[in-house]
Amino acid sequence: MRVRVRIAVLAAVVPLALAACSSEKESPTASSGGGEDCAQSSGAQEKYAQSWQTGAEQLGLEGIEAPKIELCDVDTAKFKKEEPEDGYRVALAAQGPTNSWALENEEAFKYHAEEKGVEVLYASANGDANKQVDNIQQLTSQKPDAMVVVPMGPGITGQVRAAAAQDIPVVLCAGRLEGDSGAISTVARSYELQATLWAEWLAKQLGGKGRIAMLSGIAGVPTAEYQKTAAEKVFEKYPDIKVVTKQYTDWSPTKAKTVASTLVGKDLDGIWSDSGISDLGVVEAYQQAGKPVPPVTGDSSNAFLKAVDGKNVKFALSPFPPEQSMQCLDVALDALAGKPVPNVVNVEAPAFTDAEIDEYIRRDCSDDLWVPSSLPDPLLKRLKLC
Amino acid sequence: MTATTVSARSTAALGRAAGRLAPVGGLLVVMVLAAITTPELYDADNLSLVLFQVGLIGVTAIGQTLVLLVAGIDLSVGAVIGLTTVIVASRTNGDGSELPLAIALAALAGLGVGLVNALLVLVREVPPFVATFATFVLIQGAITAATRGAPSGEIPAALDPIGADKVAGVPAPLIIFAALALIAGVVLARTTAGRRLYATGANRQAARLSGVPTALVIGAAYLVSALLAVLGGLMDAAYVGHVDAQLSRSLNLDSVAAAVIGGVALTGGRGTILQTVSGVALLAFLLVWMLQLGAGPGAQLAVEGAAILLAAWLMQRAPASRATATQSGGTA
Repeated sequence: MRVRVRIAVLAAVVPLALAACSSEKESPTASSGGGEDCAQSSGAQEKYAQSWQTGAEQLGLEGIEAPKIELCDVDTAKFKKEEPEDGYRVALAAQGPTNSWALENEEAFKYHAEEKGVEVLYASANGDANKQVDNIQQLTSQKPDAMVVVPMGPGITGQVRAAAAQDIPVVLCAGRLEGDSGAISTVARSYELQATLWAEWLAKQLGGKGRIAMLSGIAGVPTAEYQKTAAEKVFEKYPDIKVVTKQYTDWSPTKAKTVASTLVGKDLDGIWSDSGISDLGVVEAYQQAGKPVPPVTGDSSNAFLKAVDGKNVKFALSPFPPEQSMQCLDVALDALAGKPVPNVVNVEAPAFTDAEIDEYIRRDCSDDLWVPSSLPDPLLKRLKLC
Repeated sequence: MTATTVSARSTAALGRAAGRLAPVGGLLVVMVLAAITTPELYDADNLSLVLFQVGLIGVTAIGQTLVLLVAGIDLSVGAVIGLTTVIVASRTNGDGSELPLAIALAALAGLGVGLVNALLVLVREVPPFVATFATFVLIQGAITAATRGAPSGEIPAALDPIGADKVAGVPAPLIIFAALALIAGVVLARTTAGRRLYATGANRQAARLSGVPTALVIGAAYLVSALLAVLGGLMDAAYVGHVDAQLSRSLNLDSVAAAVIGGVALTGGRGTILQTVSGVALLAFLLVWMLQLGAGPGAQLAVEGAAILLAAWLMQRAPASRATATQSGGTA
């Protein structure tokens, strides 16, 4: 009997641990704004297309077109509010400092809020969508002037809608929700853009022919799945590129090293990865096996750049900047000023290759830093990142 | 002794033997299946990975086995591993000369966790899975609060010999695991301490009445488990070469799974290090085979869960056979 009880406990603990693992960096595109208060904006379409064009040019790619998404300017006149003497009160439903990206994300927000004289009502979800539902409810009850939500998963959509129903302008930040969430704007770096740039760059490296592996973060987490889907779409265009295996690394260098150790013998020509942290494991595995690291992709962690510094590893990276939270706050403040805001803001970020490593690596800073960082040096020092 | 008694005892012995040989049999079956489905698994690189995994999982599985033998369970293993990597990285920042002090601090922290676990179980009589899961959560929280998700520092290369290096082509973690398994096996099978451990796990009250210092035995099991988790943390840190915020989460249950798959009883008092070794080997091989097959995380967890359930089911069969034997003998 006791054996059964313990097994039942174990069975309960496994999903708990998995739940704790899920949902790290959540991310962007369109589910916000829209509807009758959203006026078509040709400027936004052009800007979005330009972001794709710029990214392609930075990686030396041609023939890449931005997909059509609904872009418009949301009328925020009904949210217009005179700024109180002690400043606006803006709620931040944050991921919580569960990793260095999230730490930089919320610290950038707080720093920018201080600059703007905004009082921040903060709640940490500790990476958990269920906890974030409670957080949004509590923050809503404090009647903030606006709310910025870093979404931890689709489970929070109802609560975001409830907050919006109380005439609180809600901005989704560094993540997106499908369907009608009631948010006025989604501010994030496009997953599709990132994934497409990496996949096209890899295809170009291979000359449209070769064997590759795909490494994604956590199974089922939108951040990982959106990017994976977008990359798969690209590789479908290249019949001579064979995707040998698709694996998940949980964005853990340890698991990535274990996974990559099984790839070493597969004679791969390239590895599409959605994360610089996973790439760390890839580099470790290949170096330990004494084999050259195939071209890799991912977002830009200083740890990865330091690991490949001077080691002749080909890569293409593009960051998912944690500082995008500053832009999220700006959009929320625009709404409070009654200015029309875009329903989708694609956060601009550079794309770069190994040829430009010296421009981006921060040898004087911690592995945990996400580069390039626009955070001021005193803040980076206070966070022990530099 | 009647023919019925002999037959019943033979059945019981066979049942026990089947339980003990199951993981070895399972390993052979998996190896054959792997040879058919993914022959590349037998490449040198992949076999090397299996051996690395055996070493990395095995060290903590030895500690877990000791705790399971005294009818406990240690769910804080993963957290201690994570804590160790954070202490080493932040204390040394990649400087090998700081390593001895960092290791001493990590060992002290590990002993502290083991002591808390032991005190909760012994003094407050908190069920072991509650006590150790609580410390797991507590340590995770403390790490997050202290590092704010961004553990600073780097892992010194001086740690490589115990995690990333090979000796005569054999991964260092495997050698360490083999040495520890040998020591633990001898202690359990040939010493008074080992007999006391089994006696405490099989029937704590009877053991106490027989003069066994059961509290000391249980406390020692938790302390050794914590110390081996510290060693596991050092090996893992050396293996990957970086601080991994996700480390404790991914490794938390491997040690329990390996021991249970090997046939160590969750009820205490039954199991050997050899069984743990076979469980570790099966788990590591399964893990790498699943990766070779390109199985998704769902399939990987399902297979691991199925292996645990199968092992537990086989364990349940053995006592039933033994009970039948006793009953038959008594009535004959």
